[in-house]
Amino acid sequence: MLKNIYLVSLLLFLSITINAQKKLNNSDAQKIREQIIKKSTSTNTIASDFVQFKHLSFLDKDIESSGKLFFKEPNLIKWQYEIPFKYSVVFKNDKLFINDDGTKSDIDLSSNKAFKSLNSLIVKSVKGDMFDEEKFDVTYFKDKRDNYLITFTSKEASLKSFIGKFELIFHKNNLDVLQIKMIESSEDYTKIVFKNQKNNEAISDSVFNN
Amino acid sequence: MKQFLIRFLITSCLSVFLFSCSLITTKNLIKQTPTEQFVYNPYFNNQTIDYIYKAKIKLAKNNFGGLLIIKKIKEKQHRVVFTTEFGNKIFDFEFINNDFKVNFILDKLNRKIVINALKKDFQLLVKEQNKVMNQFSNKENVIYQSKLNKKDNYYFHENKQLRKIVMTSKKKEKVSIYFDKITNKIAKKVVIKHHNFKMTLNLEYIN
Repeated sequence: MLKNIYLVSLLLFLSITINAQKKLNNSDAQKIREQIIKKSTSTNTIASDFVQFKHLSFLDKDIESSGKLFFKEPNLIKWQYEIPFKYSVVFKNDKLFINDDGTKSDIDLSSNKAFKSLNSLIVKSVKGDMFDEEKFDVTYFKDKRDNYLITFTSKEASLKSFIGKFELIFHKNNLDVLQIKMIESSEDYTKIVFKNQKNNEAISDSVFNN
Repeated sequence: MKQFLIRFLITSCLSVFLFSCSLITTKNLIKQTPTEQFVYNPYFNNQTIDYIYKAKIKLAKNNFGGLLIIKKIKEKQHRVVFTTEFGNKIFDFEFINNDFKVNFILDKLNRKIVINALKKDFQLLVKEQNKVMNQFSNKENVIYQSKLNKKDNYYFHENKQLRKIVMTSKKKEKVSIYFDKITNKIAKKVVIKHHNFKMTLNLEYIN
């Protein structure tokens, strides 16, 4: 009897864990992919708060930082960290403009292929448009809150060496990107959670002067 | 006159010789009989603390930033990881006793000379217990001399608190590490300064 209860609860537990992440069938996956691309092309600006969690397996706690993100078509992006340190970085014209609590510097990315491709991926991930089958194996799920969880597993060796997999979560109704998770081959990851996201509101170019 | 000139030349030659040979670190220090067998660095020795620092690196005229993460994993075992503010790993080192392991380093930095330079700095930073070879003092400090990787390290203590480590060759200072804003055995400000090339690492505790 006890054994049966144990078995049933184990099965129940297993089915719950399986249900927590349900793989979409091909036609649903195709549909959601089209909707996300459509939404992404109609998104010209994004302004959002974010909280970043850096997970390193050997630490007791994730390292938490937070700030604001600004995106403007075609490829202007600014990450403005406010807590626990002031640091902002703008990607503009193949360059990184950094303001490290007043210390300004810039890095030319045109010669740094790996970083450039990472940057373009970050822009694409913020917009949700990462569906490049040559670069990634893409898999579609629904998570426990019915949001869409899409995983992009790197195929390119150069990218794989620092980020093996991207996991993006899209809101079940409006398809906003709720979360980006960048998972290293070591399984350590960076998770960025977006809050108070506003799409297609005017953002002045001067925001991107760093 | 001639005699004076000869004497002058001998003295100046001698003083140049003496000056060039003497290490500035131990200048004006009084040598003592060691009272301690070991000198300790207490700033990274608590296994329950994640030591997280915002780092600013100045190399010649260039500035770089990131996070320096130090964790004592086990007795005599430290993990030292440097990431960008974004969280991308630049390098991930492990110090086990006197052994050293590279868990990860960006391809661009994966050169023996870079790894060795980083290894030396961070080993000096996290090494907890060091055998005292000599002991010195001056008005403010008690200084313990120790040895690591064929280099001499001088541990400066002020009011029994470690405030500076200077790594030297026989003749020259190579690296100085300054510990400041110390509360509860945490150095909230750490500066690592290289003397043979223009590189300074400024660390501010954020955790």
